Amino acid sequence: MTDAPDRPADAETGTDLPAGPADSDAETDPRTDGGLPAMDGAVPTRDPGAFSQLATALGRPLVVGTVLVTVVFLILPVLATFAASFAHEWAGVLPTFVRDGEFLTLVNWRQALGLTQTDLGAQRGLGGFWTVFGVPIPVTIGFSMLLALGGVVINLLVGVPIAYAVTRYDFYGRGWLNTFAVLPVVPGIILGVAFLKTYSDLPSAVGLMIGYSLLKAPYMVLAVQSSFESMDLRQLEESARSLGASWPRTFLTVVVPNAKTGIVAGAIVCWTLAAAEFNFSYIVYSSGPKPFSLFLFENISNNPFLQAAAAISVYFAIVVVVTALLQAVGQRGFALGGVR
Amino acid sequence: MSTLDEGPLVARLRTGTEALLSPTTETDRERRRIAALALPFVALAVFGAVVPLVVMFRISVAEEYLTATAGVQFDAWVTLLASILAFVPGVGSAVDADPVYGEVIWNSLWFGAVTTVASVALGIVIAHALEKYDLPGEGLLVTLISFPISLPGIVAAFMMIVWFGKTGLLTNVFVWLGGEASLFPAVTSNEVKLTGRPSGTTIAVFGLFLGYLYSMVPRATFLLRGAYAEVNTDAEAAARALGATPWQTFRYVTLPQIRPGIVGAVILTFRTALAIFGTVLVLKALSVVTFRFDQILKVGYDLPTASALAGLFFFFTVGFTFLSLRFTSAEVTG
Repeated sequence: MTDAPDRPADAETGTDLPAGPADSDAETDPRTDGGLPAMDGAVPTRDPGAFSQLATALGRPLVVGTVLVTVVFLILPVLATFAASFAHEWAGVLPTFVRDGEFLTLVNWRQALGLTQTDLGAQRGLGGFWTVFGVPIPVTIGFSMLLALGGVVINLLVGVPIAYAVTRYDFYGRGWLNTFAVLPVVPGIILGVAFLKTYSDLPSAVGLMIGYSLLKAPYMVLAVQSSFESMDLRQLEESARSLGASWPRTFLTVVVPNAKTGIVAGAIVCWTLAAAEFNFSYIVYSSGPKPFSLFLFENISNNPFLQAAAAISVYFAIVVVVTALLQAVGQRGFALGGVR
Repeated sequence: MSTLDEGPLVARLRTGTEALLSPTTETDRERRRIAALALPFVALAVFGAVVPLVVMFRISVAEEYLTATAGVQFDAWVTLLASILAFVPGVGSAVDADPVYGEVIWNSLWFGAVTTVASVALGIVIAHALEKYDLPGEGLLVTLISFPISLPGIVAAFMMIVWFGKTGLLTNVFVWLGGEASLFPAVTSNEVKLTGRPSGTTIAVFGLFLGYLYSMVPRATFLLRGAYAEVNTDAEAAARALGATPWQTFRYVTLPQIRPGIVGAVILTFRTALAIFGTVLVLKALSVVTFRFDQILKVGYDLPTASALAGLFFFFTVGFTFLSLRFTSAEVTG
């Protein structure tokens, strides 16, 4: 099936050369039989040249090989980091997993999460603990999760209506509004510089929450929009209206519940991305509990390799759980309709 | 001013507002609905983006900014523009200024362009394989390739350290290969250690290049998957049936169809490349614009200069995005 077609090569046109000037004249002339002139632009030569034959033979293995190399390049360090976070040390080719008869160790995790009694530095870095049902949760992590949740709530209030407006109605300026809603117009670091003076009187937490919701809004709008696009919104709205529901009631009790898949997927993705937002947080954060991404940054830049691996693995664990949740609502990973 | 002097614009605005607040026709009611649906987004955009950006521009031209913003001066902009001019070859020698900003802007642009081209090229290959080949475990592949989208830039940088650091995976492989009976005597472990090198050296920049790809390839891939989903497969099947080789089919049938998608992916991926910050902050391999912000703010807290540079960055990104979406065949598919 991938072989070149078995056609005898014409003695004169068998080469893969583009048509010469004499040929192009003939191409532009109207055909004598009254048919349409030949197509403009590059037309492939009849017979595959050497390159094309080579591509036929090697193309598919090369493409599949590239995909495999890319997947290994992307995923192997993730697995290595997670595995190494349980290792005693990593000095040789492979991390040392067994030492003195002890297989794997949790010491890196304990240090990263500040659970060792002696490590006061790490505990201070984490801002102490909240105890929820007897489980100690580092304030940095718990607080970031709540901040991200706040951002998601704002995103829901903002993203669902705008997605409905641009999908359902046709109005002046709709294209522009759509572009602004699905493109992150301001990069995180620029927004951070802009927030420095504007909201310097607000607590860091409020500024961070507003920033998170603005930076991650496109993901919510895209997810909800793709749900709306698969529905016949006009019919749905008109049926509900003709049965006597007011417009606000129609929107809240008919339209929104029907888009719950997109809303849930959008909320999960926005929450995860907000919980680990770095560029904006790094510039804006000044006081109060530290955002999770800054905790990661401190681990990466200051702490021993394996402890940093454990800290990052906390986030990997969150992403894996979130990916599983996304699968459950029918969304494959973070490939949210072409993320920007 | 009496009501009789009202201009036509004011009168229209007044009737427009009245219609919006107490609509009488169905069209007016629909307008009110659209306004109500758009209101939360507009409010967030105003408080979260417009107001901060206006304040930022104000500070970039302010004399006094630490307590209250006051006065007007253009020192920050003059410094910035002189620095850019000083970097331009030919003109530069005539301008007496430190070309540092010109240099970081140039670094951002060329590095962003190089990484964008590489990411989109890889993205085309991966999207093609996912869409056209019947790969085993395709769902898993999609999930795995999309995984790095969730990782912030600092983690992407850490992944590069895991690959190429002092005890990185690849470094260790070469140490192992290059032991007593060296298989590659020319390639020592030292040469694959890409991270932790002095800033600006070729090898450090190559490490950063891979770090950028780590974040950008998955994004480019999923932007291109949108384009691939809309390809007319009948035309491809016809081309194959008429004797075109797979390469000819791709070159003359598939590629023309996904070209608008590729242009769109290039635009959006280039924006992503310009905005990457965490990866550079950890690897410190090349002084790009985003990295410069850190230095300006951490050393001396020179807010007017930071604001001016951010303003320039903002104008460039917005202008670039909208002009390129307007004047190319770019198609931004979801």
